[in-house]
Amino acid sequence: MQQEPAEILSLFKKSEELVEMLRKGRAFTEELMAENERLRYRVVQLEAERINPSELLLKEVERLRIENSQMSQKLEFLDSKFQQVEAENKDFAQRYVEVEEQNESLANLYVASHRLHSTLDCEEVVECIKEILLNMIGSEDFGLYMIDDETGELVRAGWEGDTAGTPDYERLALGQGLEGVVAISGEPYFGADPSGNGTCTCMPLKIKERTVGVISIYALLSHKKGLSHLDHKLLELLAGHAASALISSKLYSMTDRKLRTIEGFMSLLRVNHGGENV
Amino acid sequence: MEARMSNKSLLVVDDSATMRQLLCMTLTRVEGITQANITEAYDGEDALDKVKSGNFDLVLTDIRMPRMDGLEFIRKVRSELNEQTLPIIIISTKGAEEDVQTGMNLGASGYLSKPVSMSRLRELVTNFLGEH
Repeated sequence: MQQEPAEILSLFKKSEELVEMLRKGRAFTEELMAENERLRYRVVQLEAERINPSELLLKEVERLRIENSQMSQKLEFLDSKFQQVEAENKDFAQRYVEVEEQNESLANLYVASHRLHSTLDCEEVVECIKEILLNMIGSEDFGLYMIDDETGELVRAGWEGDTAGTPDYERLALGQGLEGVVAISGEPYFGADPSGNGTCTCMPLKIKERTVGVISIYALLSHKKGLSHLDHKLLELLAGHAASALISSKLYSMTDRKLRTIEGFMSLLRVNHGGENV
Repeated sequence: MEARMSNKSLLVVDDSATMRQLLCMTLTRVEGITQANITEAYDGEDALDKVKSGNFDLVLTDIRMPRMDGLEFIRKVRSELNEQTLPIIIISTKGAEEDVQTGMNLGASGYLSKPVSMSRLRELVTNFLGEH
């Protein structure tokens, strides 16, 4: 039963090899466990890293959302401001047009009144009224009538066009026809021609409450559709200024005539007186 | 623009003194133009004499005038004086399409019907003087 020492030594050697192998196996297992631990740690780390970017992204999205809302508010503000400025701009443009119209209106009124009072010659005043009616109002058929206190009639002082030029319109009775009625009432008439021929405008020429004549417009120039606001203003101006200009020029010519008569008479007296002295 | 306009010379032709005054007042509202730039003529004959002796950049003329009307004046300026480039704007009470056509065929550069829109006139004058 006794074994050989060589065999025993071999067994011993094998057992030592086995122990060594087991030791290595243990070391290897420990190494694997360590690696496993490290990898698990890495997995956890990577998991965390995977979560973090989504949070960052969410934060970024939130920041952008806030920024977007702020930008929207700014845009709304700018949009409202733009609309406000646009409205103001339109308002200014409208006011500019109105101011231009007023300027035009004032220039017309200034020239009309300046021309009316620039002369004391009755014929020139009549001519000036005709020019205003033709060039500024745009009338092609009109009559200017003055009240003759002696006969109680409207006497045509100036005219242009076919209707006003007919002999029937040379003298008109007060209170009769549109011109006569307007002369009596002292109220202007804007509207349809009572005779049925389109429209007609009749304006009394007044000095304070006294009517001294009438301007009657029977037809406008063919390209003119109607009377504008400026035309009404010009006619109103004519009603006052033309009346005073016509009466002033008439009075001046009367006074001038009287003065010449007196001067003639005085020079005659002087001649006679001088003759007596001689 | 103002400096460019200040040496321009304009001729206003109308037998109506009221109209001439109104036109002059309107023209002096164009930047750079003063009364000194404007010459007035009573009718076509008077205007023709002035065009012969002067050097104008723009003419505004009425049609209905004594002695020589505006159309005859334009005809003479274009044919007798051989002034083809001088801009002539007609300002007339005749506003029908055929009147405008007649004026333009005779050599008018522009046409405005009375009563004149002053802003339109200023615009037209500025355009012509700017081009000329």
